[in-house]
Amino acid sequence: MARLSLLTMLHRSLVHRRARSFSALIAMTVSAAVATALLTLYADLDAKLHKEFRSFGANIVVTAADGMALPDDALARAKAAAGNNSLAAEFGYAVATTNAGTAVVVAGTDLSAVRRLDPWWQVSAWPESSTTDVALLGQRAASAIGNEQRVTLNYAGHMITLQDAGRIRTGGDEDSRVYMPLQVFTQWTGVRASVIELQIPGGAKQVEAAIANLRREMPEVKVDPVRQLVEGESKIVDRTHALMYGSVLLIALTVAVSVLATLSASVLERRRDFALMKALGGSQAQLMTMFLLEALVLAATGVAAGYVLGSAAAWAISESNFHAATLPRISVLPAVILINLTIAVLAAFFPVRVLRGLQPAALLKGE
Amino acid sequence: MFVRLLAESFRRQRRRKLLAGVAILLGTTAVTAMLALATSIGDRIHNELAVYGANIVVYPKAETLDVKIGGVDVKPASGGVNIKESELQKLKAIFWANNITGVSPELHLQVTGLDSAGRPYRAQALGLWFGHMWSEGGLRRTGAPSLHPWWKLSGRWPAEAAIHPSEYEVALGSTLADRLQIKIGDTFSANTSGALLEPLTVLVVGIVRTGDTTENSMLLPLTAAQTITGLPDAVDRVDVSARTKPEDAFARVDPDSLPPKQREIWYCRPYANSIAYQIREAIPSAQAEQVRRVEQSEGNVLKRISGLMWLISAAALLAAGFAVSAAMATAILERRGEIGLMRSLGASKTTVGLLFYSEAALLALFAGALGYLAGSGLAAWLGAKIFAGDGQAAGPILNPVLLPVVVGLALVVAIAGSTPSIRTALRMDPSSTLRMDA
Repeated sequence: MARLSLLTMLHRSLVHRRARSFSALIAMTVSAAVATALLTLYADLDAKLHKEFRSFGANIVVTAADGMALPDDALARAKAAAGNNSLAAEFGYAVATTNAGTAVVVAGTDLSAVRRLDPWWQVSAWPESSTTDVALLGQRAASAIGNEQRVTLNYAGHMITLQDAGRIRTGGDEDSRVYMPLQVFTQWTGVRASVIELQIPGGAKQVEAAIANLRREMPEVKVDPVRQLVEGESKIVDRTHALMYGSVLLIALTVAVSVLATLSASVLERRRDFALMKALGGSQAQLMTMFLLEALVLAATGVAAGYVLGSAAAWAISESNFHAATLPRISVLPAVILINLTIAVLAAFFPVRVLRGLQPAALLKGE
Repeated sequence: MFVRLLAESFRRQRRRKLLAGVAILLGTTAVTAMLALATSIGDRIHNELAVYGANIVVYPKAETLDVKIGGVDVKPASGGVNIKESELQKLKAIFWANNITGVSPELHLQVTGLDSAGRPYRAQALGLWFGHMWSEGGLRRTGAPSLHPWWKLSGRWPAEAAIHPSEYEVALGSTLADRLQIKIGDTFSANTSGALLEPLTVLVVGIVRTGDTTENSMLLPLTAAQTITGLPDAVDRVDVSARTKPEDAFARVDPDSLPPKQREIWYCRPYANSIAYQIREAIPSAQAEQVRRVEQSEGNVLKRISGLMWLISAAALLAAGFAVSAAMATAILERRGEIGLMRSLGASKTTVGLLFYSEAALLALFAGALGYLAGSGLAAWLGAKIFAGDGQAAGPILNPVLLPVVVGLALVVAIAGSTPSIRTALRMDPSSTLRMDA
């Protein structure tokens, strides 16, 4: 009987003061939504940032010993040692002379692999992967070549004629080179690949682990990190991480305190109810349970609505910013529930403690 | 009467005002801090991204090509065209001169000589600035160390000027130091292979680990390099680091194909392309290019991180707005009895509405201004904490532009938050409100 009447009272209290319940519910929903959105984004931040840093290209360089070529299976072994998610391209270099008599560095490589590895290259047109006798000319190299339509190169007396496929513009060493498919390059010059550029996703730890792995698997070659990339990436990811952490705490605190203020105000305002119930024989514990239950029901509803809203907000933010969706994470739910319930419990207890000292009779008389 | 009512309301209902005030205060604090961080994040991340080195490279407009494999000059260009070091002063006069955060000229050469044990050696060398006096204000000293923050030095950087006639301080790449078995404090001789002049005596004051092929080189002051090559005033490459705006479609167009008005807009935006264009204009003998590996990727990262901050700020704004609105609404709902009393004593709806709106506005102004101060302080503290050790002054703590923005937002939110409850309260019959309360 007592239980039933408590539930009825709870129901009545929530339904009859619809405006008040609604504003408290909004407050709880906002706090849950903010917590969900920020925690979801925060959990996904590192992965998203590391993905952005992939556009810097290779972060590990594998070089053969001086004057030697890499073994034939080096690329496959390097890829296996570096892990599934890595990108790799091998390069062979030779110095040839153009038909204008200028010395130029010619690099043989897998052009389609380079395209994936080095997205910062500005290339006017990538050649079809099936064509073999093509060359990409660095913008400075192009000016040193007499006939740009048919690029004739001379390597120690061996001539080759390539079709000009496009221009490379990078602002780096690539500008003064000619790039061509590795197979044709090796047939022409007899020079094999001597460098592998590798890109490992992740921060300094992953890169170090990959380097250790590579050195163990391939003791005959030199493995070096591209140091400024690895250090810079870790530093920036760490700082952004800290920045997000600060923001999350700040926003969560603000919303929590505002919600607490709203909820306790709405409880405090019901002093008259409180006095009436007490006058009719309600014990302190019963009243406490009543207020607490009310707050908990609001908090739970808030979590349900807020989780959906917050996940949607996180999805929208990362879709518009990183162009990659952040999917809802169940793992943030416990934290969200905990935050909201704590707010609710505090909001219920704080006013009840204030009201405890009040005399119901005095209050009801309107003093 | 109106003013007295207002004053009394603040005096007597301190608890209720405090609650709503705290909500606004916290809300504005959070929003100010987020906005202050979001507006300064671009510069801060740019400073962080400076670890990637130069984003613009300047080299002589010449027919000869670099014949470099893996950073090693296979066929050193002999007697190539150079840029004049004195012409670099012109960089201070370009439109975006203030955005230039570092300049590092280089002169590549080969040195030979006798090492400290008297054995002959041959090595690559690089003439550099190590902390060159650039200008009086703004960027004061610049050079290779600031453009290559990943270089790890033991010892110290060489002094720019000769310590004695034809005796200079130098730094050695770690591989070269190992090869020549030279330690800090050793002296030996260096000359170019042509041996036009008396050899220089060099004193090693630093050993550098760079993680790349520069470790095979001797790093000597630019003046020393110019002296022994017999090329006074010459440099063959300049690295420039500049604060830029991430590239968009407009940045990629060729400025010379644009109509004058559009061209001016292009010219006056700090794109890497426009800064490179201005460098080419200032130094006609030079070719300037953006370093795409750095510039393109930096732009990407910068865009993402500052975009994230702005979006989170927007979310914070929304959440704080809701929370404050709810607090305001509650504060008004509590006072329905008061409204009923005022109405039954003959106050018009307008007067009552005005009273409540004035209260909300006063509260918003006061708490909003306080929140602005607290938020600015918080942002400065957070920024300093997170981006510690940049060696870069963070700029003023208070951003005056944010004050009207934040207080205005607080006003809007407070008034919008109270409106529904004030309207409901005014719509109710005063007598029924009073009876229900009695």
